[in-house]
Amino acid sequence: MRIEFILNGEAVAVEAPPDITLLDLLRDYLNLTGTKEGCAVGECGACAVIKDGRLVNSCMVLAPQAEGCEIVTIEGVHAADGGPNDLQQHFIEYGAVQCGICIPGMIMAGEALLRQNPHPTRAEIRLALAGNLCRCTGYQQIVDAIEATAKGRRAQP
Amino acid sequence: MSHITQQPLTYVGKPARRVDALDKVTGRAKYIADYRVPGMLHARCLRSTVPHARIVRLDVTPALKVPGVHAAITSEDFVDHGLYGFPIKDKYMLAYQKVRYVGEPIAAVVADTPQAAQAGVQAIVCELELLPALFDARRALDPDAPQVGPDRADGQHPNLKGDHMIVCKGDAEAELAACPIVLDREYFTDWQEHAYIEPEGVLAIPTPEGGVVVYAPNQSPFINQGNLAMVLGLPKSLVRVIQPTVGGSFGGKDDIIYESSAQVAKLALLTGRPVRMVFSREESMVASYKRDAMHMRIRLGADRDGTLRACWFRGIIDSGAYASETPFTAWRASIHAMGCYRYQACDVDVHCVYTNNGYAGAFRGFGNPEVCFAVEQTVDELADLLGIDPIDLRLKNCLRLGDETVHGQKLTESVGLIECLTTARRISDWDRKRAEYGRQTSTEKRRGIGVAVMYHGMSLGAEGADSAGATISILPDYSVEITSGLTDYGTGSRTVFTLIAAEELGVRPERIHMQRPDTNTAIDSGPTVASRTTVVGGNAMRLAARNLRQTLDMAAANLLQCDPRQLIRDGEAYIGPDEEAVAWEKVVDHARRLGLILSAHGHWSAPKIAWDHHHGRGTPYMAYVYGAQIAEVEVDLRTGNVQVLHIWAVHDIGKVVFPQGAYGQLYGGIAQGLGYALTEQITYREGYLQQTNFESYLIPTSVDVPEITGVFVESAYSHGPYGAKNIAEPALVPTAPAIANAIAHATGRRVRELPINLERVLLGRDLQPPASTQPARAAFHIPVRSTPQTAPVART
Ligand code: FES
Ligand code: FES
Repeated sequence: MRIEFILNGEAVAVEAPPDITLLDLLRDYLNLTGTKEGCAVGECGACAVIKDGRLVNSCMVLAPQAEGCEIVTIEGVHAADGGPNDLQQHFIEYGAVQCGICIPGMIMAGEALLRQNPHPTRAEIRLALAGNLCRCTGYQQIVDAIEATAKGRRAQP
Repeated sequence: MSHITQQPLTYVGKPARRVDALDKVTGRAKYIADYRVPGMLHARCLRSTVPHARIVRLDVTPALKVPGVHAAITSEDFVDHGLYGFPIKDKYMLAYQKVRYVGEPIAAVVADTPQAAQAGVQAIVCELELLPALFDARRALDPDAPQVGPDRADGQHPNLKGDHMIVCKGDAEAELAACPIVLDREYFTDWQEHAYIEPEGVLAIPTPEGGVVVYAPNQSPFINQGNLAMVLGLPKSLVRVIQPTVGGSFGGKDDIIYESSAQVAKLALLTGRPVRMVFSREESMVASYKRDAMHMRIRLGADRDGTLRACWFRGIIDSGAYASETPFTAWRASIHAMGCYRYQACDVDVHCVYTNNGYAGAFRGFGNPEVCFAVEQTVDELADLLGIDPIDLRLKNCLRLGDETVHGQKLTESVGLIECLTTARRISDWDRKRAEYGRQTSTEKRRGIGVAVMYHGMSLGAEGADSAGATISILPDYSVEITSGLTDYGTGSRTVFTLIAAEELGVRPERIHMQRPDTNTAIDSGPTVASRTTVVGGNAMRLAARNLRQTLDMAAANLLQCDPRQLIRDGEAYIGPDEEAVAWEKVVDHARRLGLILSAHGHWSAPKIAWDHHHGRGTPYMAYVYGAQIAEVEVDLRTGNVQVLHIWAVHDIGKVVFPQGAYGQLYGGIAQGLGYALTEQITYREGYLQQTNFESYLIPTSVDVPEITGVFVESAYSHGPYGAKNIAEPALVPTAPAIANAIAHATGRRVRELPINLERVLLGRDLQPPASTQPARAAFHIPVRSTPQTAPVART
């Protein structure tokens, strides 16, 4: 079937079977491999994307459910000049990245949180990341990076 | 060393950015599952659905009739049936004659799509004749135990893996008999899954000359290359192994990846097309090796003033159906079993046995987390019994500079344990909390605070030859390229090597590019294990960069017409006696004009050490790292729920080379230790794994892991680069016992088994499954990964 939606700000139309997930649609039909698969059962958050402003696990969304929606993936997160945005830069600066496989999902979770709550406490940041597993970092530097981004964005006029 | 390099450090130990971080935060980093190669086929394995059986019939020809299937292989397709393994050669790339665990690969099929490959797998005719199976490691060496391991010629029980690993000092029985206080305790640590978020996968591409290029997220590409050459019957020159970005490993991506590599490489050679295999999470959990389970009994003898006198320790390691690296795990466990204390006498014996419970291999900590859980709780029990503060008891007994370890090794430098312990005590407000929490009377929630200390032998020790090589060269565009045979699977070692090369060469880290580990370009440096990369690989890199630096210094001296000793550096530039700065690029150009070759390599071997396996005495490791962790917990006495409130971790890791990376290793290790302590339950029920995805195998989330205060004590080690030691493994070693001791402090109840789940906290025992429960075979189901098909994309 034909699925049409807004992907990272651009209208797309894809021909794909109706019984695949949004994750597979992104990775296998649109060649956007920044979104990862860690479990395929909605438990790890490696496949997290933003769908109509909300964080969802794309392995738990059927591809046709994207119809008419606005989807943002890691490939759609960047600064105006195409380089890393402030959140991505803080991930680098605070050492929040190790093996990196969870990181696209973490960035999406961080973006989704900051859109909804520009003033999160550390506990609120931890709560917002609770669906995103990371086996490498112990989360602390990821929390640091999101906290620093929140502060930075608040300081912006 | 020239006087120039004695200036204060510029890059080492300073804030730095991880070299591969940008690619990872933008989603551009390519992991195996992200590769899209033209003509790529997909492979899948037929895996055993029973724990122990004889293969009586195996016919893959029906698979070849399935639409889309290109080829299918069994052990017959490998040299010597694909037998491999180190230190014990006991496993086949595909099962031969027998299967010994649920999930063992029997055959592999390659097809146009994963679905077609799976249909091919289902068409294979495979008849298995069940054999009596062995699930209780404590029964493994009984004369009538079912034989799981291969026959042995030396008269030992075939279920014994390797040998008994012993450590002996004096007469432990006599010393224990003379001790006024003796504790005799049993502990058990359960299996642990690595749970790297990237499941296993391998891609093989056949080459025109009849060889194969394998992209494998393994830890040690050279071992993979050696295995592949051996089982494929190819010279090593036709087998190239490249490590792509690895999505976590923690010891877990060795044997399982070697095996998958052999399967896809063979299929690629047969079909003449690229072949990839990617595991689902369920397949990863069922097929891959884990941290072993360990049954321990410890007898600790002491004087009434708390002076430790004797330690007697017995450990039986259930490492499942194959040896993998567990004989080495047993050795490391034996060396660390008595903890980082002084004793008059000790008697340690640890051995591994075969069972039909999956299989175990390397996992961060490598035997030490298991034994640390036992000894650090027993020491706490002793402190309770004697009414001595647990930290005071440890300070009284723990190893100090100048002491001789129980193995007979004199500690002549870099022993920072006392400072770790006293610092942790101070920053955690231990004394106040310990007293205050001791007075709690609530029947709802209680807090507790507990401590554990540890030491961890650096690098391989007496496990094997310990050396590494590195290369460095200046490219035409003045960038610097470095290689190492030791790899970075998320640990940050590429950044460590970059900083070391920058420091020695006196150039900005941005100028340096580290190549991906590749058997074609790097120097074989042994396995990337045992947290040895910074020290052994770092020293090799330092030497390589120094060798190149000497060449540039000569060119600069020639250009500036002075003696090399008169040169000073200003940033990258060279300055001679007339104080005019010459750009680094100019010096490089001049070196080329002089005909000097702008590349170098370095090779470093660890100091010689010796261990006498027969007498259990010697120098097991060149040196040790030390650490103390304190955990504060809140226990809900109504539900058994344990919340860890804070962890203070103070580790002596020598000079810190890449601080941000070292803290990341510390926090990450602690999180794994926390999961090991509380939630990560692996259950083999009659050989069937009951936890096959993250909804049942619970690794810590961001709300389970508390804020952590980490401090490094930099007790420099003279053989480490800049005095560095290591951190990766030691971080998780003391976490579980610190949490267990905190729980005992809060509740007065000691849990001697891992994981410390709700029922063990609440009831002090397990809830048994009802007797009628059949082995949950239904839990064993491996879903197929979905369709990587390319389809037209239209942008409107
Ligand atoms: S892959 Fe979607 S949540 Fe794990
Ligand atoms: S960085 Fe490896 S899983 Fe998060």
